[in-house]
Amino acid sequence: MDTARGTRAGIGFAVGAVLGVVLFASGQAWPLAAAVGAIAADLVYALLDRMQTGSWGSLRVAIGLVAFAVATYVGIIAFGNFGDPNAVDPNTFANTKAANSWALILTVAMVIGAVVTFGLELLQTGRLDSLARQFTTRTYLLMAVGIGVNVILGQTVASALKIPIYLDSIGTILVGVLCGPIAGALTGGLGNVLWSYVIPPPFQYQPAAAFAITAVAIGVIAGFAGRAGFLRPRPNRSTGELLVGGGVTVGLVGGLGWAASVAYTRIFETDINLFPDPAKVDTLFLVLGYLALGLVALAVVGLFALLLVRRDLTAAYVVVAGVFTGIVAALISAPIAAGVFGGVTASGTDFLVAAFRQAGLDVQAATTGQGLISDPIDKVTTFFTVYLILGALANRFKARFPQGEQVLEEASA
Amino acid sequence: MLAVALGGLAGPAVLVGIAVLLPALAGRILGRLLRTSLLLTMPIAISVLVVNLFFYPAGQQILFSVGPIRGTAEGLAFALETLARIGAISGAITLFYLTTTPSELVLDLERRGVSPRIAFVALASVQTVPAMVDRAATITAAQRARGLDTEGSLWRRLRGVLPLAGPVLLGSIAQVEERTMALESRAFTRPGRRTLLWHPPDSTLQRVARWVLVALLPGLFVARASGWL
Repeated sequence: MDTARGTRAGIGFAVGAVLGVVLFASGQAWPLAAAVGAIAADLVYALLDRMQTGSWGSLRVAIGLVAFAVATYVGIIAFGNFGDPNAVDPNTFANTKAANSWALILTVAMVIGAVVTFGLELLQTGRLDSLARQFTTRTYLLMAVGIGVNVILGQTVASALKIPIYLDSIGTILVGVLCGPIAGALTGGLGNVLWSYVIPPPFQYQPAAAFAITAVAIGVIAGFAGRAGFLRPRPNRSTGELLVGGGVTVGLVGGLGWAASVAYTRIFETDINLFPDPAKVDTLFLVLGYLALGLVALAVVGLFALLLVRRDLTAAYVVVAGVFTGIVAALISAPIAAGVFGGVTASGTDFLVAAFRQAGLDVQAATTGQGLISDPIDKVTTFFTVYLILGALANRFKARFPQGEQVLEEASA
Repeated sequence: MLAVALGGLAGPAVLVGIAVLLPALAGRILGRLLRTSLLLTMPIAISVLVVNLFFYPAGQQILFSVGPIRGTAEGLAFALETLARIGAISGAITLFYLTTTPSELVLDLERRGVSPRIAFVALASVQTVPAMVDRAATITAAQRARGLDTEGSLWRRLRGVLPLAGPVLLGSIAQVEERTMALESRAFTRPGRRTLLWHPPDSTLQRVARWVLVALLPGLFVARASGWL
């Protein structure tokens, strides 16, 4: 990252952090303060970008992000039936209305954000260059390959392997990183719809279409992560840098995880409890819970080992991107899984959902608990796989893609 | 969607009869439809049955017990309801897949105004899946000829995944470059609609039937929401 851009990002981050802390200190909820802080950081970065380089692109995206956040907030306050006790089905304790409203609000908010961003561009320049730049012929072909990879891997894992991860986003994230957010979004959305209705058995997976909105979100996040240079190789860094990177990653990941669980508890007014009361739960599930915690500790150790052995700082970036994407994906898809499928999607994750339900949680909380465990692991694995794939491709090949420059190693001066 | 709108058990069952089984009979694919559909729903049906039979929170009436786990009647009822719904959805989707080839679908979409490039992506994706499977078979044979162990212990087979998956993935991605040039030399990026030499026929009766079904859907939702159904 060149120093000017780094300075802008740093200032934006500082302003956002200060605003977030101020809001939190004045009594607002943790997740709300964090979200407002993040959006403010992006706005400040975009304004600085506009002032210093004269380009409107970042500012338009930032305004679109604000529109998305406002639309989501308004939607939750005005239309969401999340806390309605009458909406809870007395048999499954699922809040179907909450699930449907959540997916609907998010979809509408995303559309509003996109319309604002591209509408501004259309008004200012009369064309949609940022969209056209993402969709070259190469993009369409990579999308086809990406959808193919999504389907094959996702179906293999869902039907044959029965492990609690999905691995159905490798194509989406690859296209997002190389081609752009909208290309990634289209890969995810179109891929899921095709996977459900058009791809013939044995590769067909009918529940996939309901989760198209999740795939769209994953594609968008991957696109922005790629644009920001998250997957650029950073080899041969000093040990100090690597340790700092590892520490920051662990801190960020811990913070994100906690914010996610708090946000969920607040929005859905249910209680997810990752530490069930030992007196009320079977020993089996308690053991499983502690096993999961052990795995998390192992993952932290693994991250530092990876950083120090490969001396590539990008491993830390990959983990942050993966965890963030995973948490977002979990929060979006859990209500859908609960409301539309009752938590059962014929994949390896059903076992986790059943485990949570046995621990006494309702369907909503069970699918969210399962999502918050499976999704970050899945997305970190996926981002890492994409990083490895990119590493194996020739520079000349990568450079021709719309966002190819951002995945090439920085030329040393 | 109609199956989800109609509640209970009887609604989806009747729907499956009318909307899925009758047309399948007309198209002489009833046997294939039933086999494929049942095969598809088997894993999800088992999951739904097990999860709901044993882990249904509001279950009161116990049918039988396996150790500490109890199967409840309410759970069974809910599971059957969900299965009927899933059966309707699965039957409809299978009927669609058995009667429509992807190229017909994509051509029809293009005729109705979907961008030809998106239609191309849909078609290419559907074709990529069997193509990748074939390529995987070829690469498996090649790697086995070079000494890759595909029949040994689990650990050995796991180690063999990377030499198999790697070339398949990277080969498919590398082909993107050649295919890009092939497409561009065939005017892929030319803006505007294309004239189609052939597209699937569409009679007036089919069109009317489609509109009736689409109009029926919101009506059913309203009826369900207002408690009438």
